[in-house]
Amino acid sequence: MAVPIANQIRRLRFEAGEMTQSELAGRIGMTRQTVAAIEAGKYSPSLEAAFRIAAVFGVALEDVFQWTG
Amino acid sequence: MAETMSLREKSAWVSVVTVVVCFGAYFGAIAAGLVHRGGETFRLLVLCAGAFLALQIGLNAAAALTTPKDGRTPRDEREQLIQARSLSLGYYVLASLVVALGVPFHLGHPAPDLLNFALLDVVVAGLVVAVAQIVMFRRGI
Repeated sequence: MAVPIANQIRRLRFEAGEMTQSELAGRIGMTRQTVAAIEAGKYSPSLEAAFRIAAVFGVALEDVFQWTG
Repeated sequence: MAETMSLREKSAWVSVVTVVVCFGAYFGAIAAGLVHRGGETFRLLVLCAGAFLALQIGLNAAAALTTPKDGRTPRDEREQLIQARSLSLGYYVLASLVVALGVPFHLGHPAPDLLNFALLDVVVAGLVVAVAQIVMFRRGI
């Protein structure tokens, strides 16, 4: 079931020079499959993981995740 | 091509396959009456448990070789959540099956049969844990 949180990870990866899911996963200490699940909206990451993702792209948390519920 | 399965999902598949093959053979032989009570059954159990351990070690090592990076990193938060949920489900299944052990006891089954029922409970609970993990890995969570 999709979670009511949209994310811009795919776009941010593209803008970061087509960063791969594996590369992002390595930088936040997760598996590629977990990054894929987050990106597909199937899994809501913890607050810490969300901040880590935002930090990788150098943007604010709300630029990565948006509440759609 | 990106790896579609993480090491932990592969490990869950290994558990399903090894449990079905090894303990399926053990309980299948008992159900079909191919072994009789006593030493013969015990020898078969030792053989099946040994095969189970050997297959688990071998197949998990092979899985780790195909995903070496996963093997060196601890479970991430999603994998920890999947593990916690599947173990919780397995606990309730095991508890229910242990309570259900009262049925063969009241039907007058001898102690060796009851021990096999207890072993079956553990095997089924383990299978439920592994299948639940695979389902959650496939669904995302």
